[in-house]
Amino acid sequence: MGVPFDYAPDRPEHIDAILNGLDRYNPETTAVFQEYVVQQCDQKFYDCYANLALLKLYQFNPHLTKDETITNILVKALTVFPSPDFSLALHLLPPHILTPLSSSSALPAAGDAPLSEAVQKLNVLNNLLAQASYAAFWSTLDSDDLYADLIADVAGFEELIRIRIALTISQSVREIERPVLESWLGMQGDAFNKFVNGVCGWEIGGTVVKVPLNKENEAKGTIVRENVKMEQFSRVIRRAYEQPA
Amino acid sequence: MSSFQNGGAPPRDLDDDSDIEEEALAANYREQVQYEGMEETPMSMAQQTDDIQSRLAAAAQPLDFSAPLDVKFASYDNYCSLFHFILNSDGPVDLEPPSYYWAWDVIDEFIYQFNSFCSYRNRIARQGNNEEEIAILREAPNTWGCYSVLNVLYSLIQRSQINEQLAAMKRNEEPMAVAGDYGSKSLYRMLGYFSIIGLLRVHCLLGDFSLALKTLDDIELNKKAMFARVMAAHFTTYYYVGFSYMMMRRYADAIRMFSHILIYVSRTKNVQKSAQYDSISKKNDQMYALIAICVAFHPTRLDDTIHTALREKYGDQLLKLQRGGPESLPIFEELFRSACPKFISPTPPDFDNPELNVDPLEHHLAIFMDEVKTNMWSPTVKSYLRLYTTMDLKKLAGFLEVEPEKLRGWLLVNKQRGRQIRWTDNGLLDGEVVGSGDLDYAMQGVSGLDSHLRSQGWPQVGGLVSTKLGTNILDDDFFRDGKGAFAW
Repeated sequence: MGVPFDYAPDRPEHIDAILNGLDRYNPETTAVFQEYVVQQCDQKFYDCYANLALLKLYQFNPHLTKDETITNILVKALTVFPSPDFSLALHLLPPHILTPLSSSSALPAAGDAPLSEAVQKLNVLNNLLAQASYAAFWSTLDSDDLYADLIADVAGFEELIRIRIALTISQSVREIERPVLESWLGMQGDAFNKFVNGVCGWEIGGTVVKVPLNKENEAKGTIVRENVKMEQFSRVIRRAYEQPA
Repeated sequence: MSSFQNGGAPPRDLDDDSDIEEEALAANYREQVQYEGMEETPMSMAQQTDDIQSRLAAAAQPLDFSAPLDVKFASYDNYCSLFHFILNSDGPVDLEPPSYYWAWDVIDEFIYQFNSFCSYRNRIARQGNNEEEIAILREAPNTWGCYSVLNVLYSLIQRSQINEQLAAMKRNEEPMAVAGDYGSKSLYRMLGYFSIIGLLRVHCLLGDFSLALKTLDDIELNKKAMFARVMAAHFTTYYYVGFSYMMMRRYADAIRMFSHILIYVSRTKNVQKSAQYDSISKKNDQMYALIAICVAFHPTRLDDTIHTALREKYGDQLLKLQRGGPESLPIFEELFRSACPKFISPTPPDFDNPELNVDPLEHHLAIFMDEVKTNMWSPTVKSYLRLYTTMDLKKLAGFLEVEPEKLRGWLLVNKQRGRQIRWTDNGLLDGEVVGSGDLDYAMQGVSGLDSHLRSQGWPQVGGLVSTKLGTNILDDDFFRDGKGAFAW
């Protein structure tokens, strides 16, 4: 079963009440949402719909904007890739946020140059994850101290990302060379063994890691068959008469 | 005028989407069009006798695009005083709307003016050379402000209890029981209803696509819905819902929305007044462009009417989009630019730093293009995988002249993007994850790749394939091949 986009299992009642009422536009609720983002970061849960509501408040009331909260929301959105959450959050940020830094940093008055730099850096990470360039993701993450600052508030960021990567791998892979998987997961040695065996439940055999069969990686040919009644086709048949062209 | 009194009609069965209904609607439409011509006389009489009637009529009149600033300001003040009168008088005002489509026209025009004012203000700030207008705009940051516009829409919705009424109708209960003093009057009910559509539009213009869809929670999208009585409303609703779905990467749902309305338009175009048809023909083309984009992301078999028209209008572009790769990028961009709504930024621009006032279109386009780039190799990968059941990854990488590591990424991306959330029931944001189903594969062995073609689901004797989602005809799920090559 699918889960509606606006549903979050861990959402407290008071947040739900704000989201469903006009208070979602009330600048005074900004503090409540901000606190909620902190909770999500600390306690490793995630509520995209509420975070988007906060970004909307910032969109309407730019003076209330807290850069740190924005980047935390984006970092949290990374941990649920390949969902569109990161992009949906970006859409609500100021339009100049993605313009190349050279032009905006030349402006002394552009007070939020650091924010647009951070957002663009995170966008690089997002694109690497979206393109399944996992090895490049880990090396990029290590390449700049700014990244360490940006992800610092989000508890278990690397672990959450790793689980997400493992999930996408399990959908497409039955066997994979150990060095490739090591680079994708950004870990080696004992830590790697522990994660792959313990968390993922995959089998390491020499230089090959086996992913157990699941619904997604079976790659089984399926024949879709369904019985339908003649009446259900009456439209098609009628159409054939209606539109001789 | 009577169309909204019929609003209490029992909600129909979801599956009951037959031709009969479409014909009934077209007939209804024909009546309305005739009716429109006849009503001019009573309206002009009303204008003489009642000042408020003329104000109501004026509020629905389109403002010239090139109207000077003071006219735009005056128009805003007029709307404010009219809505204030309607919302904050001592109890509900006793007025009959001038026509059945009046409420739509008012909300439509109100949002259109908000939209064009924001775009204009942003442009003036970006160009930074019209000192006089900059000074005026600087002085009035709250004119056409997003809070006042949303305030009007939400107030109309709340006053009319329209969401409660719609929810009651969904449960097959009498809406009047929850309508209250205001909502039982057709003026408020109609304004409230179209304000919901207005909100969908405003949220979408501001880039809040999930909230846009959420706004329609209580509205059932079908041809019996109230919006379907007013062609422009019907059309607008599907455009914005489809667009929001596209931006949420729910391409199958987007295609379903665009197809629905485009088929409807193509079937009713003979009965529409030519002037009205002109005004929607631009949006019509925009939706074809959006369908082309969505089909490139999510190859699917389209309805024949749509497919033919699409090939006529965007044949060359579609081919390039479906081929993917870097050559497709300018086409994606061109189509997106021509077909997206006129995005706005909700807050007054920064007049002191013209460079900071980037056109919101560029912002949304940049985000969208990142997603396009992520996907651009999928068509290439698929075209090869269709040819083999088992294939060595390094060999395939050799064919494609890329590093095996890159190819592994493409394969993962293609597989991930093949899974999509699709609407089945309940709210528009609801849905289930569905695989695209035409091609499935998994990687196995040392640098190996085992690809496996899933059956296309050929019709068997006595066991035809059918679609469960078919709002329109047997389109989407039949044979999901972008080129429609599997027609039978």
